Amino acid sequence: MATVEATKKQTQFTMVQAIRSALIDEMTSDADVVLLGEDIGPRGGVFLVTEGLIDMFGKDRVIDTPLAEAGIIGAAVGMALYGLKPVAEIQFIDFLYPGFDMLVSEGAKLRYRSASQFSVPMVIRSPYGGGVRGGNYHSQSPESYYVHTPGLKVVVPSNPYDAKGLLIASIRDPDPVVFMEPKKIYRAVKAELPEGPYEVPLGKAAVTREGKHVSVVTYGAMVPLALEAATAMQKDGVEVEVLDLRTLQPYDTDAIKKSVAKTGHLVTLQEAPRIGGFGGEIAAFVAEEAIEYLEGPIVRVSGWDTPFPYALEKAYMPNVERVRRAIKKALDF
Amino acid sequence: MEIKPFTDKPIKALEYDGRPSVDINGLGLSDDFLIEMYRWMVLNRAVDDRGYILVRQGRAGFYAQTSGQEASQIGSALVLQKKDWLYGDHRSQGSMLVKGLSASEWFGHVLGKQLDPTQGRMMPHGSGRRDLNIVPPSSTVGNQITEAEGTAMAQRIKKDGGITICYFGDGATSEGDFHVGMNFAAVYASPIIFFCQNNQYAISVRLDEQTHTHTIAEKAKAYGMEGYFVDGNDVIAVYLVTKYCAERARRGDGPALIEAYTYRYGPHSSADDDTRYRPKGELEMWRTQRDPITRMHAFLDGRKLWNDQKEQKLQAEIKDEVAKALHVAEESPAPEPITVVDHVYAQRTGHLEWERQELAAELAKK
Repeated sequence: MATVEATKKQTQFTMVQAIRSALIDEMTSDADVVLLGEDIGPRGGVFLVTEGLIDMFGKDRVIDTPLAEAGIIGAAVGMALYGLKPVAEIQFIDFLYPGFDMLVSEGAKLRYRSASQFSVPMVIRSPYGGGVRGGNYHSQSPESYYVHTPGLKVVVPSNPYDAKGLLIASIRDPDPVVFMEPKKIYRAVKAELPEGPYEVPLGKAAVTREGKHVSVVTYGAMVPLALEAATAMQKDGVEVEVLDLRTLQPYDTDAIKKSVAKTGHLVTLQEAPRIGGFGGEIAAFVAEEAIEYLEGPIVRVSGWDTPFPYALEKAYMPNVERVRRAIKKALDF
Repeated sequence: MEIKPFTDKPIKALEYDGRPSVDINGLGLSDDFLIEMYRWMVLNRAVDDRGYILVRQGRAGFYAQTSGQEASQIGSALVLQKKDWLYGDHRSQGSMLVKGLSASEWFGHVLGKQLDPTQGRMMPHGSGRRDLNIVPPSSTVGNQITEAEGTAMAQRIKKDGGITICYFGDGATSEGDFHVGMNFAAVYASPIIFFCQNNQYAISVRLDEQTHTHTIAEKAKAYGMEGYFVDGNDVIAVYLVTKYCAERARRGDGPALIEAYTYRYGPHSSADDDTRYRPKGELEMWRTQRDPITRMHAFLDGRKLWNDQKEQKLQAEIKDEVAKALHVAEESPAPEPITVVDHVYAQRTGHLEWERQELAAELAKK
């Protein structure tokens, strides 16, 4: 019956809807949670994450800002110092750089520089990554800059369930979090979510697929690719374990060690350029702390060490073939 | 006294020789308060003189004096209430003292002791205290402007009746943050005062090389905000203009920019050589003819509120106060090396726990 359908609670969520649901839950339960960003009011954000929220919570809590990322981040820091819990949206993470100084010099450092008298409980939400024909300024994966800044936490969900739980955990976290949303898979799948708020703890990885021959350690939009590659390699008799880090700072060293202890082989997979990238951190960690389990070379899969291209996007993005070759290189040692 | 925005000449209450320019009796300032203003300025200078000596003695790494700018520091901060927020820069210690930071904490900060509220994490001048709403300044010029605006937005949202004051120098008005912060504040009618201490030099670069406007205050026009040009060496005028802007902000009438026209006596910092860029005689002229403390002293004298005996007593008191404050700071221990990995996050991450163990082993070897 139509009336029953209309009042039935939504249970199937895309990542965009899951993130929106997390914001609604937290804003409902905590009056200190406020949103700010460009076009997040009546427009609902360019990806519609904040659709309808200004009507629900008013313009004091869903704040459309002037077009200035330094102002968005700076104001968020000042609000957080005061005691609010701002969630700032940066329209594309490629546009965060004007606010980089405020994030890195201020937001990340105020707890340290005040010996914990002050804290900055803010979240910077921003879509990242390629695969949407966005060219250089709508496709970057700059996680390494933020991971390399003590004081920041960096979170990258790979599915709707985690996106909601990780965002809620990030909003409730007492320290600043860069929450990177893989826009390529914003609407790729729908997942069933429990009703109401729940947390997925920061700093905990998830084994997305069990395997015994090689560990592919990845995050964000590369998780579905890793799973696709794992399925493809099954027919070659290779059982790939996929570890979704979910949080890059702090990252789950125990889970990495456990997986490598089981498989003896490590491939890291990221969309970002290779040099100085997060795969290098994982490789270094395993080389330092888990070398005894390794039976072959660590291989990094990544985007190329180039700016992000527009028409050449397919040639840039990691794909099943690139992952497959890397796994073979790791195994055929 | 008439307080009008966008004047060509700085608003003043006193002539340089201390004679009143306006009817002081009509301003509602008690004799005790006038003396209090003077006392704060004398203390501010004494603290700075002592702080600077610490660098020359090799006991501190850096110092930036406020000397010459005491009227701007003190006159503006005396307006603030406990719930108000203060964002300073590398030359805000006079204002911080008025807001409640103790002189001993300040010296503890300069010496890098546990007494420093930042626990030795910030070089001078980066101290602050959460309970006083004093945010520790960073060294990146202008960053505090957008942060302060965020705090003022929060004050407006929460309707707590408080305001934010944000201090910066003339050089900071060239930073993008100045534009962004001013624009946000005007758009949201935030309860904030942007207080520019125009001491005419950004390290060595003179004001006419910094900006092409006649005043800094007039920049407010571009944001639909009022800008006030005040004599920054006139503590009464600074107080009254700031009070006027604070009351407007508290009423919900929005932000204001105040330009306090002043002059610093010292080099930019202990690491600077100001003889390389100041024209001959300029410093001497300001020091001998426009000094904010001498000016207020002359004013108090003229009103029969002050005499040599009171001055001697005050100087002795302050000398004693500063010596005691420094002694307390000297007695405070240095921060424990092992604490270097603390205060990065609310809880140490796994990596920081390992690094703490590594450091502990390193320290045990020594």
